[in-house]
Amino acid sequence: MDIREKLRILSAAAKYDVSCSSSGSNRCTPPGGLGDACSAGICHTWAADGRCVSLLKVLLSNACKYDCAYCANRRSNDIPRATFTPKELIDLTVEFYRRNYIEGLFLSSAVIKNPDYTMELLVKVAKELRTVHRFGGYIHLKAIPGASPRLLTEAGFYADRSSVNIEVPSDKSLQYLAPEKNFASIYAPMNFLAERKLEYGPTARLRGPSFLPAGQSTQMIVGASGESDYQILSLSSGFYNRQKLKRVYYSGYVPINADKRLPVLTTKPPLAREHRLYQADWLMRFYNFRYDEILDEAHPNLDLELDPKIGWALRHPEFFPVDIQHADYEAILRVPGIGVKSAQLIVSGRRFSKLRLEQLKKMGVVLKRAKYFIYHPDTPASLRRLYPEMVRPLLLPRSKSGQLDLFAGSPLALPA
Amino acid sequence: MSLSIQYDSSFEGFLSAVFEIYRQHLDVGEFRPDRGDGNLGDGTPGDIFMQPFRIETSEDAANRLHRAILNFASEEVYNLLHAALLSEEPGVEMKILAYLKKLFSGTDPNYGRNPASAEMLPLYKIAQSVRREAGGLLGLVRFAVGPDNVLYAEIEPRFNVLQLMETHFSKRFANEKWLIYDSRRDYGIYHDEFGVQVVNLPGYKSGSMDLKDAFTDLWKEFYDSIAIKERENPKLLRRCLPVRYWNHLPERSVRFAAT
Repeated sequence: MDIREKLRILSAAAKYDVSCSSSGSNRCTPPGGLGDACSAGICHTWAADGRCVSLLKVLLSNACKYDCAYCANRRSNDIPRATFTPKELIDLTVEFYRRNYIEGLFLSSAVIKNPDYTMELLVKVAKELRTVHRFGGYIHLKAIPGASPRLLTEAGFYADRSSVNIEVPSDKSLQYLAPEKNFASIYAPMNFLAERKLEYGPTARLRGPSFLPAGQSTQMIVGASGESDYQILSLSSGFYNRQKLKRVYYSGYVPINADKRLPVLTTKPPLAREHRLYQADWLMRFYNFRYDEILDEAHPNLDLELDPKIGWALRHPEFFPVDIQHADYEAILRVPGIGVKSAQLIVSGRRFSKLRLEQLKKMGVVLKRAKYFIYHPDTPASLRRLYPEMVRPLLLPRSKSGQLDLFAGSPLALPA
Repeated sequence: MSLSIQYDSSFEGFLSAVFEIYRQHLDVGEFRPDRGDGNLGDGTPGDIFMQPFRIETSEDAANRLHRAILNFASEEVYNLLHAALLSEEPGVEMKILAYLKKLFSGTDPNYGRNPASAEMLPLYKIAQSVRREAGGLLGLVRFAVGPDNVLYAEIEPRFNVLQLMETHFSKRFANEKWLIYDSRRDYGIYHDEFGVQVVNLPGYKSGSMDLKDAFTDLWKEFYDSIAIKERENPKLLRRCLPVRYWNHLPERSVRFAAT
């Protein structure tokens, strides 16, 4: 089998892994070597579905001994199998990198023979890239559950980021869909790497090489089993707080296998739900929202029509309108439609002059949604309170026909 | 009568012009950057009876103005003005001049720290789009390996961003020889073991650097095989990766289509 065919098989096999970020690491070009890591991350191209591609994301091998229901590479599927030699992978990485096609390598693998054997191959590739080829680009290595601590530690010194995928958001569903896996076996390498990262943390870095400078990430499949968004977000929140993960990815389930345990093959991937989950995830990471503020037992699922920030705002009318001139940065950050950059610009700009609506517009603050939630000197008296039931229909996306359907059955929401 | 000022289109040239404007108390109506392509200014035919007043670039004057901007504002503001000038937008010089005049007038001691002033906001926006393009292009430069093991790439950015990209590439490919050529503005930067220099290739034809080799084909193979059919989203793709860049991307260009 030539390298072209291997590349086709093994990159197609890895495409359902969402993570492709190259951020968080600040590696310098090694003396006489090639490449560095840019801490902001760089996208090199975008795939046909609009995903950013920054890493050469491939499997080392797709000859898996496991039989997970949701996976394209499971043992019981009749598909062509291939395995890269370390040299082929290294050549591809270095030559792609020189042409500025990629930011680095994302190497994952199916489990061949046993976890230790597989992990050893992954580490070997990373080690050779770093030591023989003096490669300074980004390397993301999968940690194989069940691999020995020695190999995981070694991987941590060569890789910028490592990840173990939780795959399914609850232990029960995981064991049901992937009989050879359970939460404990996935948490074990994750916790081990988190502890080592603490141990070799910033203070120790002065003495030796850095350990996973870009931290860890994980991924779960959404829509293959029956978990609610509330369960999913509480799980992610735990990852961010306890395991100190840098990212949690959500992958809307794309039906690949016919299996009676899974949704039928004609199911469309839940793209809207996935999008809302990412928005909620952003709220937790950059906007200081707690998962139990975004959702609660009474509202276990995200609203597919409105983003979770608006959802929270409409449930908390007492918090609004926010006074742009005097409110805290955190309060301004909670206004739907105002992002981190706009909030920072408002906070630093308002020290010098009063901010009126037209000035916000000039700053590039998007007022389409924000205008219902802010208070500024020109706000008419009638809008100094937020009426969620009045604002909600105004925020909903316009129907495609662009015309009001008077006979749709639902009464029009007229202002009282 | 207000003057028309001609300068050599570099940031130093612009700063020297501002310095002269202050020294000679000139009343300026417009700037005409001389980009060395015979086309002066923004393409509007100038008044043939009014010769533009040419101000030569002086390193000393530019340094003095740099220090003045640092004193009244900050290094960030200096860099932001530089980025705004690189937009080559007609009239951007007058906006920068208006900002500097207000800054140096000293009426408001906090003016240099105010990002939301009437003169700063438009410049901030222009600089933002210039920096966005420069940042985005870092990933979109595609090198081809030439016969002498030199890496060649051609770009056609909307703004004049090559200088903003120089540091990134000279760090990343510190031990390689490479050339990035802006075929729209007809100049490039070349890097080798002695450092970076600006080069001109007169008579260069667009597209002649887009060489193909086995790894280009492998890259296209990779790109095609990672597409997920169920999730295709052409609108999102065009928003993330504007079509104007496709020409020099092997994975999207028709020029590189399989032969």
